[in-house]
Amino acid sequence: MEGVGSWQEKLKDQIPDKLGREVDIFETQMELRRRGEVDERLFAETRLRRGVYGQRYDNGQRHDGTQNRPLPYRDHPTKGPETIWDAPGMVRIKIPYGKMTADQMDVLAELSEDYSDGISHVTTRQDIQLHFVHIEDTPDMMRRLAAVDITTREACGNSVRNVTACHLAGVCKTETFDVTPYAEALKEFLLGHPDVQDFGRKMKPAFSGCAHEACGLVNMHDIGYIAKTREVGGKVERGFEFYVGGGLGAIPHPAQLLTDFVTEREMLPLTQAVCRVFARLGEKENRGRARIKFLVAKLGIEEFRRLVLDERETLPHDDRWTAYIDDLAGYREEALREGAPLKLEGEHSEGFRAWHDTNVRAQRQEGYAVVTVKLPLGDITADQMRSLADIAREFTGDNVRLTVEQNIVLRWVNEADLPRLYAALDVVDLGAPGAETIADLTSCPGTDTCKLGIAASRGLVAELANHVGHLNGATDPALKGLRIKASGCFNSCGQHHISDLGFYGISRKKGGRLVPHFQVVLGGKWVENGGSFGLATLAIPSKNIPEVVKRVTNRFVEEREPDETFTAFVERLGKVEVKSFLQDLTEVPSFEEDPSYYSDWGDPRVFTMEDYGEGECAGEIVPLVEFGLQASEREVFEAQLYFDAGDMDKAKAMAYKAMLTAAQALVKTEFYDITDDPDHIVTEFKARFHETKRFHDKFAGTKFANYLFQAHENGGNGGRPEQARDQVQEAQLFIEAAYKCYERIGTAGAPA
Amino acid sequence: MTETDSVAPLTSAEVSVKLFVDDRSVVRPLELIAVFHRWIKEGVLEDELMIDVANYEHVPKGPGIVLICDKAHYYFDVRQNRWGMRYRGRRDARATGEEAIVRAFGSALKAASLLESDPALEGRYGFRTDEVEFGIYDRLRAPSDAATLTAVRPALESSVAALYGEPPESLDLVSGAKEPFLVAIRNGTSPSVEELLGKLAAAPAG
Repeated sequence: MEGVGSWQEKLKDQIPDKLGREVDIFETQMELRRRGEVDERLFAETRLRRGVYGQRYDNGQRHDGTQNRPLPYRDHPTKGPETIWDAPGMVRIKIPYGKMTADQMDVLAELSEDYSDGISHVTTRQDIQLHFVHIEDTPDMMRRLAAVDITTREACGNSVRNVTACHLAGVCKTETFDVTPYAEALKEFLLGHPDVQDFGRKMKPAFSGCAHEACGLVNMHDIGYIAKTREVGGKVERGFEFYVGGGLGAIPHPAQLLTDFVTEREMLPLTQAVCRVFARLGEKENRGRARIKFLVAKLGIEEFRRLVLDERETLPHDDRWTAYIDDLAGYREEALREGAPLKLEGEHSEGFRAWHDTNVRAQRQEGYAVVTVKLPLGDITADQMRSLADIAREFTGDNVRLTVEQNIVLRWVNEADLPRLYAALDVVDLGAPGAETIADLTSCPGTDTCKLGIAASRGLVAELANHVGHLNGATDPALKGLRIKASGCFNSCGQHHISDLGFYGISRKKGGRLVPHFQVVLGGKWVENGGSFGLATLAIPSKNIPEVVKRVTNRFVEEREPDETFTAFVERLGKVEVKSFLQDLTEVPSFEEDPSYYSDWGDPRVFTMEDYGEGECAGEIVPLVEFGLQASEREVFEAQLYFDAGDMDKAKAMAYKAMLTAAQALVKTEFYDITDDPDHIVTEFKARFHETKRFHDKFAGTKFANYLFQAHENGGNGGRPEQARDQVQEAQLFIEAAYKCYERIGTAGAPA
Repeated sequence: MTETDSVAPLTSAEVSVKLFVDDRSVVRPLELIAVFHRWIKEGVLEDELMIDVANYEHVPKGPGIVLICDKAHYYFDVRQNRWGMRYRGRRDARATGEEAIVRAFGSALKAASLLESDPALEGRYGFRTDEVEFGIYDRLRAPSDAATLTAVRPALESSVAALYGEPPESLDLVSGAKEPFLVAIRNGTSPSVEELLGKLAAAPAG
């Protein structure tokens, strides 16, 4: 990029130092992997923790409907096991509790055009995903995000994922209090926290302002918080019901109540204690059973609670636990315009009235409304995103949030502005009615881009969207309020378990050929934070799912009892009856009779499972020590770069730091709470590895350990400038010795 | 603008050329999903490593149906309700300067020609060439402004003149400051896609 600069240079004054440094580190890790100097498994988990994900066909194979064919990419090191470097992937961008500013939306629009295919995809966990992104573009993408204060850190991998929260927080009529600043505090506290770096799987947190609505979906989260107050000494005290161990996946688990009231002061330390217990006792080998829900189920909630409380007692104090509390009183969102009521009796168009009926919700604050922008399949074009940013600037300022139903809401809209706002949205095709109704369908990416996808959930949902407007009783309020959600596989990213009509992709064989199917799950409870899970009924060929929806909804409209919910209706009907009236739809005609059954929605290729791959949702299990050793390698690499650039002081300092990092990584295998203080590291290293001779080399004896001790004595920067070369080389040798030591303690657990 | 800057936009890999359909009433974008899958299967675009097909038909005025390749994407895009075939380079610039423009034209014309002649489409697809949209999706090298247009204008004019036999009637920046750099190239004539491809084939190798 000579002659035109670089994003790094262009944005240097806008990128916070910490975020900029993190991106620089990732870029160096990429370079080391390209040189083959970092193990592919370690690099995979490293990039996942930066939000850089794999995508379908990135193993260099693709089935064209007839046969599996290689995709002949250039020959480079892989970016993970069976993951081709050059194959495009997905980048997940964390948007904590879905809150976005207009400027951030502009940047997201730009990134989708510059690095992806022009679409931003809103996920069911308030993230944005961009697909078909090349890994080489990711550092610049991260820099551009960092310039507007967004990080992709820990968006994937075995880490704490995006902190989600009700999109109505702060404006909802039924909430106990606004959970937003608490979600922000948790996000800040856990991001990059040492206690969340050694999980066997991911951990997803969620906040909800009340127990009865759906929005926060606490019941299906690994850790969840429902706002609650209590009176103490005549004063109202805020806190949370604290849940653990919820989750969907193949086997959904409802969250368990850890404590019915955790105070503001205890929210963060108790969470930290949960994380420590999960890191210590959670499954690491069998990734299918490594989520916290399995640990809670295995131990029982009482034992789990006991362990957490014990852990809490021993936690080293952290000022950050309560530092955020002082800021709570100052937190508030500002409306851009003064609120005034809408005169509905005016001459409004039919389009406006339909939209107002479903997409507008009055806020707790009089004169203001929340407007939902319904996105088809969670997708929004770059042009639309830019327009929406401008609309937000005009009507609501930065009061924009993503929702778990893959939509975007504008908050603090002056009600009197609604007709003008609708007109502005309609111009850019964002004024579709039907938000949060049966017409607002949800889908994960499925086989479109996900390696784990079995069936085309997006294809199915796009097809169903054509049908729902024509269902019998489509305007019946009971039918209108139902939810339809689809996942491409049992992993439930589409949240099918907690929808009224849920579907997840499977396959069946007929006459020796595979046929795409969906398992039909009925009667899940969306309200009450995803209150209960639906009933798995039958496996139905994909092409018959529209008929399933038609029959089930028709029967509900015709046979439901007054005020009967869909969940109650399905329960009353029972599995046997549901099976009986859908049974004929399980039939698959022969390929010769109707080949369309043997292809999936939106994909004309003959259906196959050949493209099914190993997903990266589970991340790679990489021991903490390996991350530390990798960091030390990266640092010695940077030391070499300083040396090459003639900056001897920095070269020596970085070489010394690399040795400290490697020593700390080893110490951490035995002493988790080792600090970053060089004296502490050297003291512990000396006692645990040097004096015990475990670090000693078979031939060189104490030589390598002495490199560290010598550098430490000099404060990392002693000696003449020309000694920098020696110190860089010594650091390299020390790190190699650290690796050998790790191998020894890892395999034999005994001194050399 | 420095001399270095003046050539920078056309060092980008992300050069784009869009040809508009002449009659959208006979076009059904969804049918292109099957066509693009078949192109992948048959290796129709010899210069490309074709990977997958992305369907955004559900999004109004969006990217449409996309043939994802390793170094470029081919969109049947419906952006701004103007339907057309868009070639867009993605990585590893295949050329710079005028050659980059000519190659992007060649790739777009080739894809348009394949659509025009694809048996499954029964000759319904036709493309006009009197207006072409040229773009650079690279905000670092080519911000959407008059300076970028000034920088690329000479190369664009001479490339179009070589291809059409006469210089363009107009080159107009049609993108706002926040959009990717896009230029409407308007020509006095509208030669057929095949005719333009023929001229490109006959031109001396650059």
